[in-house]
Order: sequence, then C-alpha cells, then structure tokens
Amino acid sequence: MASNDLAARLMGDMAPQLLEFLKNKVNTFVKWDLVRFFHENPNTTDTAENIARYAGRDVATIEVEMDELVGAGVLSRQRIGDLTVYSLIEDPIMRTLVDQFILACDDRQFRVKAIYHIIRGMR
Amino acid sequence: MERVKTGIKGLDEMLNGGLLPETANLVEGAPGTGKSTLGMQFIYNGTTQFNEPGLIMTFEEFPQQYYHDAEAFGWNFRKLEQADKLRVIMTSPEVGKADLERVGGRIEALTREIGAKRILVDSLSHFERLTDDPAELRSILFSFINSLKREGLTSVLTRESQTFIGESEGGEEDAAFIVDSYIMLRYVEIESAIRKALLVLKLRGSDHAKDIRQFEITPTGIEVRSKFEGREGIMSGSPRRMADSFIEAFVTPGKKPKP
Repeated sequence: MASNDLAARLMGDMAPQLLEFLKNKVNTFVKWDLVRFFHENPNTTDTAENIARYAGRDVATIEVEMDELVGAGVLSRQRIGDLTVYSLIEDPIMRTLVDQFILACDDRQFRVKAIYHIIRGMR
Repeated sequence: MERVKTGIKGLDEMLNGGLLPETANLVEGAPGTGKSTLGMQFIYNGTTQFNEPGLIMTFEEFPQQYYHDAEAFGWNFRKLEQADKLRVIMTSPEVGKADLERVGGRIEALTREIGAKRILVDSLSHFERLTDDPAELRSILFSFINSLKREGLTSVLTRESQTFIGESEGGEEDAAFIVDSYIMLRYVEIESAIRKALLVLKLRGSDHAKDIRQFEITPTGIEVRSKFEGREGIMSGSPRRMADSFIEAFVTPGKKPKP
C-alpha cells in the first residue's frame, strides 16, 4: 500500500504523455538507451548487429528490445535486400514525444522518477 | 564550365574554379591530415555560401563528433540541421550502399527533403571490410559512387592512407580510377618540423594546378597556401633542397661540379 502511494506521488506530477511513454514504450533501461541513441542519431538506419556495436550492447538483447520498440511505434523496421534495418519512426508526433522525453531526462527529478518506474515495472 | 566551389581558400584556384557538378571526389591522406575537415568545410560552405544543402554520411563515427569538431571552427551543424540545410547520417557501408540501390531509400528521401546537392562520405575506407577481393571492392565502390551521382550529388569521399609520412603502399590507387578527382593530403618533414602538403593529382575533364601546395588547418578551417619552393621529393615525406639533389646527382664524392 505504502509502495503504491509512493509510486502515485512520484508519477503524479509527470506529464501524462510522458508517463504513458514511460509505461508502455520505454519500460526497460536498454530501451531508454536505444531511444536516446536514436534521438541523438535521428537519421541512422542500420542493422541490429551494427546498432549493438554502436551502443556497446549484446546484439541478442538489442534485437529483442528494438523489436518491442517497433511494436510500440517508436522505431521502424524494414528489409533492404537481405538486411533487416531499424530507424527512428518518421511520424512527427512520435518524434516530438521522443524529443520531450529526452529533454525531460535533463531534469534529475524526472530521471529519478523514471528510474523508479522502470525498476518497479521490472519486478 | 559550371563549378561546385569548395569555398576553401586556395583550393578552388587549384581546381580551376572548383569541382565539377555531380562528380565523385576522393580526398586521401593519413589520419589527422585534415580529410574530414576539408569535407566538412565543403559541406558547410555549400550550405552557407552557395545555397547548396548537404549530407554527411558517416560510418562508425557518431554525429556528435562532427557537431563537436565543426563547432571548433565556428560551424554550427546543429543549427544547419534545424534549418533543413544539413543531415548527418550515421550508417554502415553495407546498409548505406543497399539503401542507395533501392528505389525510395532513406538517403534518397533525405536528399529530396532538404534538396541536397553535396555529400561528404567519411570514409570510403570502411568499404574495405565488405570484401577481400580488390575487383569486388572496386565494383562495390563503382556502384556506390554512381548511385550518389544519380541523386545529383557532388561528393567528397575521404579515404585513409596507410602511411603517415611518404608515399602510400600499392593497392590504394584502385579507387582513384573510378573517381573524378583525386586530392592527396600528406605530412611532410622539413627541417625537423611537420608540415602539410596538398596535391590535386587528377581532375577529370578539366585542367588543374599540378604543383604541391602547403596548407594549414586554421581556426576557421583549411587554407591552401603557396607551393613548396626550392624543394623536391615532397610526396616522399622527406623533401630535399633542390640544390642538395643537384649535388647528389651530379657531383661525385671528392669532385667539384663542372662550371
């Protein structure tokens, strides 16, 4: 009960669209890293293997998380010849949301709340 | 003839006015000689002086590195991206090539989105990991270069040379045959100091300066200066005074040169 109260307090003053983004799209730390990566490299189109190298992560982990971000409408996945490549979705509404999320992450209080939420969601 | 000006002090003069439109132009040199700087300056000047938006295609180099490096010269790449004058694309050679080969690819879309006329590809050396076969590599590069031309882009393609000082080992010249111009950047040791030399080795369909010029990377970018006077063997990395070479060639030990 007490834990739910704390969560409610922590999330209470978070912008609703960011709360929804955090709950349903960026619900792991790897996804958070990936969203940041694509925000910083909005024109990147590349394979899971190469993105894993850029992000310094294991490709098996990256691929699963990127596929989930595709499902959440944050990334797009397509075939080019025999390559499967990922890029940030073109949709301007989603790109704005990504921008807002990354901007909000500049605020330590927001980051603390977001970290708390992700850890809670991982239980 | 119409020219695509680099806007780099001294270089356009060497190129007889600039690069030719929709051509592929190789800039080759050792790490730190200024290949990427020359390419970034070509893109920056294009957007700010000649109203020609540009793309930067980078392989395994994060865009932030370009923003940071450009900032050191006072070139605000982020601002140019916000103004839809520039796009920095990080990808891999295999994906970049495959993307350009298909209809309606991302690079094609970005080119049209901002009306890009110029592109920096940094660097062509990364294509070498796609194959060990020189003939296949040449074919891959030929196809890649042609796809850039098809998009109406004038490209600057950088490539790392294997040697820091002196002439390159054989094998690197292959790409020189499929590009339209070939600019070499070299370190030169003169009297215990390292200086930089630039040579336009080839400019297909046009005359160009044949001399080897000194250049500097200044706080505002590259400036090509005067040619190396009174020295020979510049591209060997260790030039000699011409008088020394004369003595070496014509004077046998213990004898004085004939008047």
